[in-house]
Amino acid sequence: MSAPFYKYGLFNDEVSLIVAVFIGLGFGFFLERAGFGNGRKLAAQFYFTDMTVLKVMFTAIVTAMVGVYYLSIFGFLDLSLVYVTPTNLVPQITGGLILGIGFVIGGYCPGTACVSASTGRYDGWAYVAGLFAGILFFGEVFHLFEKFYTSTAMGKVTLPQLFHLPYGLMVFLVCIMALGAFAAAEWGEKKMAAKKED
Amino acid sequence: MKWYESFRKMSLNHKLALALFLFGFIALFAGDPYGGARTEINTKEMALIVEKQVDHVSAVELADWIIKNRADYRLVDLRTEKEFAEYAIPTAENIPLTGLTDAGLQRNEKIILYSEGGIHSAQAWFLLKAKGYKSVYMLFGGLDEWKDQVLFPTQPENPSPEQLAVFAKAKEVSKYFGGTPQTGAESAVTRPQSAMPKLSLPTGGVGTQRPRAKKKEGC
Repeated sequence: MSAPFYKYGLFNDEVSLIVAVFIGLGFGFFLERAGFGNGRKLAAQFYFTDMTVLKVMFTAIVTAMVGVYYLSIFGFLDLSLVYVTPTNLVPQITGGLILGIGFVIGGYCPGTACVSASTGRYDGWAYVAGLFAGILFFGEVFHLFEKFYTSTAMGKVTLPQLFHLPYGLMVFLVCIMALGAFAAAEWGEKKMAAKKED
Repeated sequence: MKWYESFRKMSLNHKLALALFLFGFIALFAGDPYGGARTEINTKEMALIVEKQVDHVSAVELADWIIKNRADYRLVDLRTEKEFAEYAIPTAENIPLTGLTDAGLQRNEKIILYSEGGIHSAQAWFLLKAKGYKSVYMLFGGLDEWKDQVLFPTQPENPSPEQLAVFAKAKEVSKYFGGTPQTGAESAVTRPQSAMPKLSLPTGGVGTQRPRAKKKEGC
């Protein structure tokens, strides 16, 4: 049996929604356990006093990468069926900046806002309300910047395709990059803590 | 056992970091998960499929699907661009043999291949099967069969009532696709080479709904 199960027709649309609920709950649970229901902790990332966000997110990325890579090497996963979001360079960088600004101002990204709201925090609820208002607003005015939204399309590119590197080498390089980032984060945290004591 | 002792003394974080490094290092030599252009096939399984003849779709069947506007398959025309522009079966898309594996066909969708006769589609069928595409079919007899059975069906000589009924239906189908049914003995002679229907035919919704009813994905 090989994955992705949904695309091989193991279950239908309705069941996929139920599966999504469980995956979502799991995702939210682990975000909360990592301390991501707290806006202060999240915002601290941007002042380099607490690098938990970077460490958790990068850990998630490399774990998924190594898992997906080896599962498909051993034939359990058909990687060609896994959805890759198409790249639209300029609009996506713009969107990333807008998200980042909101993240620094309020201390949440969309996922952590839901986590925080579900643990009963008022700032989380305000964020979720803003989230839905934003979605509604975006939907209403979408036609005004649809052209920008679909500009600089690069299709479904992955890092090995972009850099013309062998897939395995790219996996190795990302692992090294993650290890470097972890070491740098630990070092930076110690530095900032020492500075605080002065 | 010095290295073992020092490994035991490492913190969990450092152990995990070491594991990540090892996984990354092995990946250097483990190859491409997409498989590249090399592949392995199960020759026995392939031979069985060929022998059981479960790998083709008849022209009449395909015509029926197109009329019913079914959207669960992708029809692939393997001929040249020029030939494709002259005439193609409605709903078909033109993909040359060399571009087949890069054309964005999904491994789990139903793919029906056709060429002029049957040879190219059989070869393409083999390529796709070897690359792990699950449900690939050939149009039996290719475009020639499509012409014979769907566009220009011929009434059999001295038909039985059943044959007549079948032909009556074939006539309807033929008209739908802009063909001309052949009746009488003269059919074999008069069958015109030039009477291929125009590409715009048939009307009536076919081809407007592309089979790629793609679901919106992503987060």
